[in-house]
Amino acid sequence: MKHGLTMIVLLIAQVIVWSYFNLSQYVLLTFLPAMVLCLPVRMGTVKTLIIAAAVSLAIDFLTHGILGLTCAAVLPVAFCRRFVISLVFGEELIEREEDLSFRRQGFFKMNLAVIICTALFLLVYIWLDGAGMRSLTFNGIRFACSLVASSLVSLFIATMLTDEENHK
Amino acid sequence: MAKSPGISGVLSVAIFVLLEFAAVELISRTSSLQNIWINRASHRVMAYTGGIGETVRNYFMLAEQNEELARENFELSRQLEHYRNLFPEEDAKAVKGKAGEMFSYIPAKIIKISRNSQHNYIILNKGFEDGVEPNSGIVTSNGVVGIVDAVDRHYSYGLTLMNTKVSVSARLGRDGVVAPLVWDGVGMDGALFRNVPVQTEVNPGDTISTSGISDIFPGDIPLGVVVGSRTIDGVAKEAEIKLFQDFSAIRYVTVVCNPERKEIENLEKEEEDL
Repeated sequence: MKHGLTMIVLLIAQVIVWSYFNLSQYVLLTFLPAMVLCLPVRMGTVKTLIIAAAVSLAIDFLTHGILGLTCAAVLPVAFCRRFVISLVFGEELIEREEDLSFRRQGFFKMNLAVIICTALFLLVYIWLDGAGMRSLTFNGIRFACSLVASSLVSLFIATMLTDEENHK
Repeated sequence: MAKSPGISGVLSVAIFVLLEFAAVELISRTSSLQNIWINRASHRVMAYTGGIGETVRNYFMLAEQNEELARENFELSRQLEHYRNLFPEEDAKAVKGKAGEMFSYIPAKIIKISRNSQHNYIILNKGFEDGVEPNSGIVTSNGVVGIVDAVDRHYSYGLTLMNTKVSVSARLGRDGVVAPLVWDGVGMDGALFRNVPVQTEVNPGDTISTSGISDIFPGDIPLGVVVGSRTIDGVAKEAEIKLFQDFSAIRYVTVVCNPERKEIENLEKEEEDL
């Protein structure tokens, strides 16, 4: 219950960040991939895809962005989530349907999983947002800056979401 | 009932693809910039896949196309033969060459050609009634074939370049030295460019063509290329030539007549008598 509430708060936070905090054209601050990653492990890919699509469409609708852009970028993250979890944390975690935990999985692995998901999201988002009009250099710088900023924020968000107290 | 991992995986992929397409479609409808870009990309993909499909289709249709081409080729040859037989008098009529050129051309069909002796000959289906005269040249678009030696009413007999008695006046390059070209006596595409002055540079790849200074052949008919050269007794050079003319595959030739030959010969005779 608490976990669900945290998710809604974070969703609103993401809308506020994108609507009112335009840091720079090179920095896209997002923690949506981390939110998707931290959904309960027992949740199947289909459910994850539907939740991710619904949440991202709500974000697109509430911000002044292009409708469908966030959705198109977050869907690959939702699709690859279980693969990333099994790759970084091992197959046992999925078999045991154990939720992610900073304490159990450790900072390095959590950080790696967050970076992979964020990078995947940013790659698709920046590519689609550029629509072939922006140079590779611009997109590269935007990707690097956004990855650093978003990963730092996402780690903090992931700490909140994987707090074992939240799942109770 | 639990879903098997296979079905679940396929379902996940299907839903992902469906949602992704829906999202891209939404983007396309919302933003004109993305719309143009997505349309351009989809057209590119369609063109590419269409191109691959066409290539594959063409590849598998090659046998059919070859058969079709062979049929068409046969039909064209048959029609050509039909028209040749239909207008024999037109065919035989001498066609005047370029303006100011003294030669006339008579198309002819080879009745017989020998290739296996040292004195090879050729028999054509055109005789003096068709305007062919002795000492006329026999050529194709690939070069010189021979010289008419004797003429009958409907046939003519000639000596081919593959005959040790035949010599053609040839020129090295466009403005090079003029010397006789004779058969090398060995192959069907070999000849010798003889009596070239020793100081003349003869390089492999140089072209040999008719000189135009004889009254048998017009000038600048390409004959072959130099493949090698050597000095003979230190006084002259001899170049080996690979002829353009393939004697094993000729069916039609053109007889080159010089109507002014008699006038030239009379002039020479008068000069000798003096």
